[in-house]
Amino acid sequence: MDTLVARYSRPTYTQNELFTAQEQEEFAAGSTPNLSLKFAMPPVAQPSAWLRAATDDRSNPHCPIKIAHGTTTLAFRFQGGIIVATDSRATAGNWIASQTVKKVIEINSDLLGTMAGGAADCQYWLAWLGMQCRLHELRHKRRISVAAASKILANLVYQYKGKGLSMGTMCAGVTKEEGPALYYIDSDGTRLAGNLFCVGSGQTFAYGVLDAEYRYDLTVEEALELGSRSILAATHRDAYSGGFINLYHVKESGWEKHGFTDTNPVFWKTKLEKGEFSNVTSDFSEEV
Amino acid sequence: MSSPFSINGGACVAMVGKDCVAIACDLRLGLQALTVSNNFPKIFQYGDNVFLGLTGLATDVATVSDLFRYKVNMYRLREERQIAPRTFSNLVSSSLYERRFGPWFVSPVVAGLDPKTGQPFICGFDSIGCIDFAKDFIVSGTATEQLFGMCESLWEPDLGPDQLFETISQSLLNAVDRDALSGWGAHVYIIEKDKVTKRLLKGRQD
Amino acid sequence: MEVLLGITGKDFTLIAASKAAMRGATILKASDDKTRQLNKHTLMAYSGEAGDTVQFADYIQANAQLYSMRNETDLSPSALAHFVRGELATSLRSRNPYNVNLLLGGVDPITHKSSLYWLDYLASLAPVPYAAHGYAQYYCLSILDKHHHPDITLGQGIKLLTLCTDELKRRLPIDFKGMTVKAVTKDGVVDIQFDDDKVVKAA
Repeated sequence: MDTLVARYSRPTYTQNELFTAQEQEEFAAGSTPNLSLKFAMPPVAQPSAWLRAATDDRSNPHCPIKIAHGTTTLAFRFQGGIIVATDSRATAGNWIASQTVKKVIEINSDLLGTMAGGAADCQYWLAWLGMQCRLHELRHKRRISVAAASKILANLVYQYKGKGLSMGTMCAGVTKEEGPALYYIDSDGTRLAGNLFCVGSGQTFAYGVLDAEYRYDLTVEEALELGSRSILAATHRDAYSGGFINLYHVKESGWEKHGFTDTNPVFWKTKLEKGEFSNVTSDFSEEV
Repeated sequence: MSSPFSINGGACVAMVGKDCVAIACDLRLGLQALTVSNNFPKIFQYGDNVFLGLTGLATDVATVSDLFRYKVNMYRLREERQIAPRTFSNLVSSSLYERRFGPWFVSPVVAGLDPKTGQPFICGFDSIGCIDFAKDFIVSGTATEQLFGMCESLWEPDLGPDQLFETISQSLLNAVDRDALSGWGAHVYIIEKDKVTKRLLKGRQD
Repeated sequence: MEVLLGITGKDFTLIAASKAAMRGATILKASDDKTRQLNKHTLMAYSGEAGDTVQFADYIQANAQLYSMRNETDLSPSALAHFVRGELATSLRSRNPYNVNLLLGGVDPITHKSSLYWLDYLASLAPVPYAAHGYAQYYCLSILDKHHHPDITLGQGIKLLTLCTDELKRRLPIDFKGMTVKAVTKDGVVDIQFDDDKVVKAA
């Protein structure tokens, strides 16, 4: 009985026998473990080429594995913090797989990540980033900087470069040392700090509206409105963006959610009250 | 390069009711993911009670609709009467087959009432003219799967004009809301013995 | 990276085209005019495959002018747009089709209503209140969706155009060397002085 209890009870840190020598070494070194060995790879000569052939629905609409694509996400820095906004549509080819995807990932109470590209890749690795940030806090007894958090993610995806990861993400957070900090990270390994980024198939439409009226000294209300209007613009013109506008405001005290709003009523309100979208007919009177 | 049938996007549906028929289309004209126009109707009238819906490549929608306008005008001048939906369908079929080896990239739908009996008539075609006669509904375009699902569940026999309008509108609107390449508003025609009602539907604009 | 833009307003249609004539990585000319006047009230801007563009535009221009001479009346912008579409559609199914994208803008000589037509190389035709071709579509249509109103004045139209070209200067990786801008009004086509030297920086 005692042997059974001993086997299944949680091993204490000192007499840890379940960790392999390699894992203990990594743990002692405090480095991020190389996780690539833990993922099952397809048993073919070129796993990445095989994966691309099986999942790229753009070059082959009948590919066996369809990955959710198509997005508009944006984030910009301004005097009051950072605005993060996204749409909520997931498409597999021309099929709208979902209109209620949450593309803003709450890494922890201070950090936000956005999701573009492979939905699973983003969800998994940003959750993993949350774990790394928490470990950093426990080890160093203070919050991780946005720069460090984004670099952990950038280094991780770079390890997998060429293996078929697909993500375009932004990390936003406000810390005492950095102020409002915004980073763009993609699966190529690019990591850029900046004031304003739009990512996804609808990025250009969002850039158009955002660039025209962006200033660093925007008020919080103006900034929230501009963020949501830019997403609306992209959902209107980009077939692969749509659904709901997911709006966040990041401040030093943490992020604050400003709704998950259906674009449909927002669109008609914008059109009918402000006279925008003059390309859309609104005369619904009966004709015979 | 994607299929010519799904470059521009678009959806069309026709339904039979009791002594009436309905035909509806979306209004989107796109270039792959980009929406270019929200005012591109795909239904054309060729007589008091004859309607043609065309989805597929936008250039062929325009060319083919113009071609039939010419052919139907010539028919009317020669015969000194309006073309009947069944006759028109055979005209569509043979005209499409003329391009057997270089087809128009369109999927036509015909809806109308027989001028003599007043019987509802609908049919659909493939791009080279095979006629698909139906007693219930015909769908075409990039949202066909979604439209089949909606129509199979909402349609029932002997719907009156108002119920038919509701059924076809809900079928189309909810189908295109699950298709990235169609939507952005819709036109619905309800065709009765001596009345045609055209309505513009307010659809989602994303 | 050719840019074509068109905006309609209360009593005018603005047509703008980038000045750069590019071949591969070289800019051959920085003062190219990618527009043709079809008759007194109609102007056409073109982009696409080198050679095809000018050949097709000249062919359309010659036919439009021939019509005006024979009939002592001009075709309306709408009639011309449908004529151009027909020619392009016929060419599409020929041995070597014209690869040309067009914007056709004008003011109706009788009703004085402004109009703009968008045509791509597949001969898809759409009447629109504002339009663009090439990468400009992806950046400018959202701006125009927000800032365009049907009854803007010519001055407001030019401001709107500047908003669009500013964004293109900000985000396009290649310099398009400024824009040729022309306005069609009931009095005909007028050249518009447009400030190309403004430097725009990304946020």
